[in-house]
Amino acid sequence: MTTRWIATGLCHDLPNGVVMAGRWHDTELAVWRSASGKLAAWKDRCPHRGMRLSHGFVRGETLSCIYHGWVYGTDGGCKHIPAHPSLVPPKAIRAEAFSCVALDGVLWLAPADVSEAPPRLGGLRPVRSLSLTCGLAALMAAESALAGKDILRGSVTFGGHAVEICLLVQPKPDGITLHALCGASADLVAVSRWLEALRFKAEEKVAE
Amino acid sequence: MIRLYDYVLSASCYKVRLMASLVGLKLEHEAVDFHPGLEHKSAAFRQMNPAGTLPVLMDGDLILTESTAMLVYLARMSGPEWLGPDTPQALAQVQQWLAFSGRLAASLGRARLHDMLLYPGDIDALRRDGHDALRELEAALTERRFAGRDWLVGDAPSIADIACFPNVALSQDGGVVLDDYPAIRLWSLSIRSLDRFVEMPGIHRLHELRPAPVEV
Ligand code: FES
Repeated sequence: MTTRWIATGLCHDLPNGVVMAGRWHDTELAVWRSASGKLAAWKDRCPHRGMRLSHGFVRGETLSCIYHGWVYGTDGGCKHIPAHPSLVPPKAIRAEAFSCVALDGVLWLAPADVSEAPPRLGGLRPVRSLSLTCGLAALMAAESALAGKDILRGSVTFGGHAVEICLLVQPKPDGITLHALCGASADLVAVSRWLEALRFKAEEKVAE
Repeated sequence: MIRLYDYVLSASCYKVRLMASLVGLKLEHEAVDFHPGLEHKSAAFRQMNPAGTLPVLMDGDLILTESTAMLVYLARMSGPEWLGPDTPQALAQVQQWLAFSGRLAASLGRARLHDMLLYPGDIDALRRDGHDALRELEAALTERRFAGRDWLVGDAPSIADIACFPNVALSQDGGVVLDDYPAIRLWSLSIRSLDRFVEMPGIHRLHELRPAPVEV
């Protein structure tokens, strides 16, 4: 079964009041949380001159573009244009929204018209995100215990223990980003180091 | 008064200005025409610092030419808590990060000089080395966060964080994007929210902490 949802990060990496860059296939997005915790994801192009909104900053319940300071509310509508302080910005000026959902510690993205819900990963614990300069094939060649396509799962043994691992695959132009989760009782440091070693092995496969 | 031979766009000079501000020390700034004047390569300047590098810190008879040594000096003078916890482990870890900051300068810092001031260098190799160093920093900060800590050593910010911060925060100037490093992003936000944090061109305070501009 394929889903249109793609993981773009882990919730603990996006606290309130922070904006980050996200990606859904080739679409770059600005993903942010307002001071009160409202989540939004927009195309990473400011409606003014197309600069990256992910370079902007959150103030209260708004995101401001760093370039000329246009201010957007969580609904994507432009609320304020500093160069024309008395103007009420027309409704048509709005950031192009994607669906963004925080579920089981994961930030999921899909086009706004998505109808199904994101995949559930109950009982797992978010670990960390890390990017690889190789593709999925090299990753699979590096670790035979993992199976799947967008969501890789498997039981991996390291440090004498079998650990349940789940890797959410986010494609990017020059490789993949993995958002890793593990069984609830696993040691996070050990899993993080295993991920580092896995990346090393996978990237080496490409160099061979 | 402590004098700093300074260039506004230099990551290493900024490191020292930031440290001085954080520990509440006022420095006397001597602006050096680094670019385009190459004043730091002049005979007069080399009498003070034979290496012909910036920054240089002078306090009476003491002349320091390594920015990490300057951090130690300023912290020991005015904010010893910035030296990190006084345990064998922590002292060694701080030294480890001070040395590591040299690798950031040699990779991210050189890439920036290449792109901004047309310094020679193999830009692809510099960026690759920069990413390797960032991966190490990201892994370390990730493990610190698992332990509930925001800083490189101990429970509070230290010279280790300040030594590593500038070249990381300026990496985009050298074509190295930080999008793939979530733990570094949060660490950088923590540093930028510190009391008495100072800016430099390319590194801003957190706008969200500033009041919104008042309309007139
Ligand atoms: S490009 Fe965003 S305000 Fe101008």
